[in-house]
Amino acid sequence: MLVLATLTVVPGIYLALTALTPLNLANPATAWNFEDPLGNFRSMLEDPSFLHSVKVQAHLSAASVVLQLLIGLAVALLLHTSTRIRDVARSLLLIPMVLPPIVVGIVWLALFTVDISPIHRGLAWLGMPVGPLLTNPSSALWAVVLAGTWQNFPFAMLMSLAALQMVPASPLEAARIDGASAWQVFLHVRLPFIAPTLVVAGLFMLIDSVKAFPLIFIMTDGGPGNVTEVTNYYVYRQAFSFSLWGYASSIAITLVAAVFLLSYAIDRLTSRLDKTQGSLS
Amino acid sequence: MTSTDRFQLPLVGVPGEAVTNRRAILKAGAGVAGAALIGYAPAVIGQVKRFSGVTLNVACWNAKYPVLLADYLPEFTALTGAKVNYETQGLQIYNQRADLELSTKGAGFDVLNITFVFTNRWIGNGWLTPLDPYIADRNKTPEGWDFQDFLPGAVSPLRDAKGAAYGVPWVTDSGMTIATRYDFLKARGLAMPDTFDDLEKIAGLVHQKDGVDGFLTDNHWGFWYPPLLQGYGGDIFRDAPNDLMPTLNSPEAIAAAEQLSRIVSKFGPAGAAGMAYGQSQELLKSGKANMSTVTHVAGMEMAAPGSKVASTLRFAMCPRGPKGRFPGIASHGWGIPEGSRNKDAAWEFIRWATSKELLSRMVSEKQLGSVTRRSIYGSPDYRKLINVNGQDTGQLVLDTIKLSDQGHMKYRTVPVYPQVNVQLNQAIGRIVSGQMSARESMNMAQTSVLADFRRAGVKV
Repeated sequence: MLVLATLTVVPGIYLALTALTPLNLANPATAWNFEDPLGNFRSMLEDPSFLHSVKVQAHLSAASVVLQLLIGLAVALLLHTSTRIRDVARSLLLIPMVLPPIVVGIVWLALFTVDISPIHRGLAWLGMPVGPLLTNPSSALWAVVLAGTWQNFPFAMLMSLAALQMVPASPLEAARIDGASAWQVFLHVRLPFIAPTLVVAGLFMLIDSVKAFPLIFIMTDGGPGNVTEVTNYYVYRQAFSFSLWGYASSIAITLVAAVFLLSYAIDRLTSRLDKTQGSLS
Repeated sequence: MTSTDRFQLPLVGVPGEAVTNRRAILKAGAGVAGAALIGYAPAVIGQVKRFSGVTLNVACWNAKYPVLLADYLPEFTALTGAKVNYETQGLQIYNQRADLELSTKGAGFDVLNITFVFTNRWIGNGWLTPLDPYIADRNKTPEGWDFQDFLPGAVSPLRDAKGAAYGVPWVTDSGMTIATRYDFLKARGLAMPDTFDDLEKIAGLVHQKDGVDGFLTDNHWGFWYPPLLQGYGGDIFRDAPNDLMPTLNSPEAIAAAEQLSRIVSKFGPAGAAGMAYGQSQELLKSGKANMSTVTHVAGMEMAAPGSKVASTLRFAMCPRGPKGRFPGIASHGWGIPEGSRNKDAAWEFIRWATSKELLSRMVSEKQLGSVTRRSIYGSPDYRKLINVNGQDTGQLVLDTIKLSDQGHMKYRTVPVYPQVNVQLNQAIGRIVSGQMSARESMNMAQTSVLADFRRAGVKV
């Protein structure tokens, strides 16, 4: 308990206290100055760059979660009947998830660099040349989303696979006897069973998307301009480039609060799921 | 037994114990001669193994000199007895760690690089140790070490407003223009560009010649934009360091931003707007882009083995604008954090790492291409090393550094420049990628910088 408190609660309290000060490392007088404890939070609401970063974050999170869930579920549906090839494929598909995010960033930076990318060369060879995605303001964020999806869809795939294997055989058999097509079986039998799991997985992925720092650091540095500057990247700039630790802490604590709320939602959903499954069984 | 141990034999001998062995006398003589040869004897004689038991923590970013220096560290330990924990990191990571360490006056490091953009912040806040007492103390610094030998333009950013020195420079890098395919220019009867207008014209004329793009530079616009801005007669601040009101939306600033963005977007390869240093260097080295603005150190990489453009490389000074020539110049130097508990040993390290003798050896043994001592610039070995295709690039560097007397780099060493740097990077990025016009983007940069300043408590 003491270790847990030291590792989590104490830094958390320090972060919260710092958020109430205008701490600027270049100005020692700003440390532990609680004259205007809500000043940073007021600044946040008046800071267009911060508000922009929240919008970018929302865009990135929504797109990432939807894509990861759809691709993860689609792959899980392909893999959930076991054959030797599928077992091998299942293992191979887990590789992106275990790669360090920095490696993923470097790999995708290379894949999006027109002059050296096999993707760009292949598309050009097919007569469909594509310009640089990372420096185009319309596509830069989508390029980051794509890289993140490649890395994280295996989580959705694993969760979906586990849920699909839990679907009882009798309703599936009954549906088939009634002449339901594969699509109808999925839509009316499998999906309702796995939906709660997908919701929980989606919430986990939503929380994870808030940590989309390494890919942006490596691939775009928040650019072009600031179109890929998500909130935690903005925090990083405020703290490490400008030394405004008080302001950065106030944004960070707001993010922590948002993640806590999401965690609470997950907990409630999980409890409800448990109750539903308990009543079914 | 190392050469150091050899020359230390007579010095550490027990008093009264005669050194009778002829071989030992010869060895000792050779050792002292060796030490004298590397300019180290005076201090060593007085301080044999003076720092035994001391462990120095030294950090720098991973430029060529600090990386090469790692190979020589065992010699320092052999000479002084001090062990060295030495680390080099990427510039950005290093800056963050050093800034945090210095601002908290920690004792985690004994020697740190003073990064150019942080000079005012780190020195002005009293986070570093004044070095003049060490330089003037003949017990700690032999006369032959010669602080006056360092280029004044390299030392000046490492001094405070009163002229006190806080760092010893190990590099002064200067912005230049290069053509990786100068043969294309020669074939058209073109000389290297002297003005930014020349650069734009030439980049257009050679663009896509044999599939080679006309221009490419890395996306650190906070370094490459100010020479244009100042060339147009504008500046980053109204009068740095006294008046820090930013002037990023002046007519000159907008005109300069327009021209830079035009050159990059019209004559650069696909994705040029977002190319970081490593990416642009690789494309230039592989001959996929021709004209560039680079630092001298980066330009010399084009002449290194493995470069496809080594035989067609040409340098010129940074172009000038209608109001003059204002090349980017950056000095980095070794300093001692205020919180260090091993300051004498730290100074010994700095003195050793920047001695004429060690730097000369690094030039001849490791091809160190960028130095800060006048005596080394004058040496035939060094001039030969930085002669590229018959061109004496060393003279270009000296001419460029001399321009620092104009004081045009003052904007860069004010404590709030990091905020401006980020806003400039974003502003030019917006223009090059077509998100905004130059006027809109520079207006936005001005507003954002003012907001950042307010948040940081900077009064303008």
